[in-house]
Amino acid sequence: MSQRNFSYCAAALLAVFMVFAVSNGQSKPKSATEKPSARKASSRITVQIDKSSVKNGGTIIVTGKAPRGKAVYLEVYSEKKVRASRFDADVDKKTGKRPYLLYMTHEMPAYYKIFAPKDRKEALDKIRKEGKSWSYSKALEDMGADIAYAVPAKITIDKYQATLLGSIIGSRGKLQPGMDAKENTKRSMQLVKARFRSADKVLSADVETAPDGVYKAEIKIRRGLAPGIYTITAVAGKGMKSAPVTFENKISFPLLYLTNGGTSLNLFGPFFLTLVIAIFGVLMGAGGGFIMNPLLVLFWPLPHTVVAGTVMPTVLFSQGSGIYNYSKIKFISWKLGIAIGLAMVAGGFIGPKLTEMITLDQFKFVFGWILLVLAGLMFWQTTPGYLEKNKKEQAILTEFKKQAEAAARAKKG
Amino acid sequence: MIVTFWGHEFKVNLVVGCIGGFLIAIVSSMFGFGGGPFMVPLMTIALGLPMYVVVGSSLLAIFFNTLMGTMRHYQFGNFDPLFFLIMFPAAILGGYIAPKIAKRVSPLTVKRIAVAGLVILALNLLGVY
Repeated sequence: MSQRNFSYCAAALLAVFMVFAVSNGQSKPKSATEKPSARKASSRITVQIDKSSVKNGGTIIVTGKAPRGKAVYLEVYSEKKVRASRFDADVDKKTGKRPYLLYMTHEMPAYYKIFAPKDRKEALDKIRKEGKSWSYSKALEDMGADIAYAVPAKITIDKYQATLLGSIIGSRGKLQPGMDAKENTKRSMQLVKARFRSADKVLSADVETAPDGVYKAEIKIRRGLAPGIYTITAVAGKGMKSAPVTFENKISFPLLYLTNGGTSLNLFGPFFLTLVIAIFGVLMGAGGGFIMNPLLVLFWPLPHTVVAGTVMPTVLFSQGSGIYNYSKIKFISWKLGIAIGLAMVAGGFIGPKLTEMITLDQFKFVFGWILLVLAGLMFWQTTPGYLEKNKKEQAILTEFKKQAEAAARAKKG
Repeated sequence: MIVTFWGHEFKVNLVVGCIGGFLIAIVSSMFGFGGGPFMVPLMTIALGLPMYVVVGSSLLAIFFNTLMGTMRHYQFGNFDPLFFLIMFPAAILGGYIAPKIAKRVSPLTVKRIAVAGLVILALNLLGVY
């Protein structure tokens, strides 16, 4: 990169810095919520933690005492909430029909994990082996962790009945009446899986218990999680719960928390990725979105809906300026562009609706095939036959453009 | 439909163009990319239009899709403003830097690298490795 380009980089970075310095200042964590971390519980199980805060992840040592011989589970969740959705199109075993229901919540904790006793490791290994088709509710049962599952069970879940016509006109469908507690719990478990995807994100076997009931666990909070208050509750049986203890996960610049993505990330990561892909995209003559979106979901734990919905507007500006430049020299057939554009508007109305109906794995799978088709198209564009034809086309294009520019100038002068 | 462009008349099969554009728009807005690399072959090969008619007009058609797709994604709560603020300046900056580099690199080389890169990325997404 030349000296000049480097100075462009520096200038833009400075601008970004300023934007975030402002937005960071507004979202300072409330210091009033920092409570003393250790609290004596009145119930028969106690819980203490060794520190009241971690910095972008860290290890918290949890200790306490439970009644003798009881298995201890720790339920840990963040105060920050994210959205989760799941489209149920699996055949119902009882009726043999596909329900086509969309379940959606805005209250899923951005972090949720149950720490089970160490001796449940085997059960967890078995769940891991099931791969992508694992079931969270079955996993909870197998590990005995269902007694600790409490917080997501109470989230509000909206249930929509999707119809074919509704999907065509891009509606989520009719909002269905609320569910009873049992049904809500069941659906919330499916949403936990939809949101966190792998068993390791929501389950682990780390709690060591001595015969006298004293337990200890190391809770590792990953990097890149939501900032704010995290709550830990120890559970040793139905109704036997400790008072909650809290700690804070602090993040600071250049780490930023994406409220919709539910992820903290270093802002320079996506910034430089976008920069490189944007340059590369212009050079190869294809928008960067093709490469951008799969890389974003591979590198960061971002939902594919947020990736698709946020990358798309970034190209609006470059497309707009391109159209402006072509229109200045009258190099656009408005009739043709608008005619096909209207058909594309209809497509653009439907597409975003479909994004939330597929899982991340389906997103990756289809994207993989799209990229193979694109690679095929681009390979064809490097074959000698195409290049020969393209040379002539480009020559005509350049000639016409020159004429158009001259005409535009003549008109001005 | 007859399209006149710089004194030349072209007959365009609007049915093929609109169905193709519609399908490309669904997929591209669903997965959040522009769709140019698919629109240009559609208009040159399927509609038989020369490149100089296609470059500007395809961009206009895609713009409709991007605008609608953006609005719909926003409506469904898929838009993250902070994430956008990180990527947007980088995309603009990339648009300024690229033309300056473009003179120094061969488009053929870039395309070949892109093909290799796309295949590697695709195989990763398909879980081959």
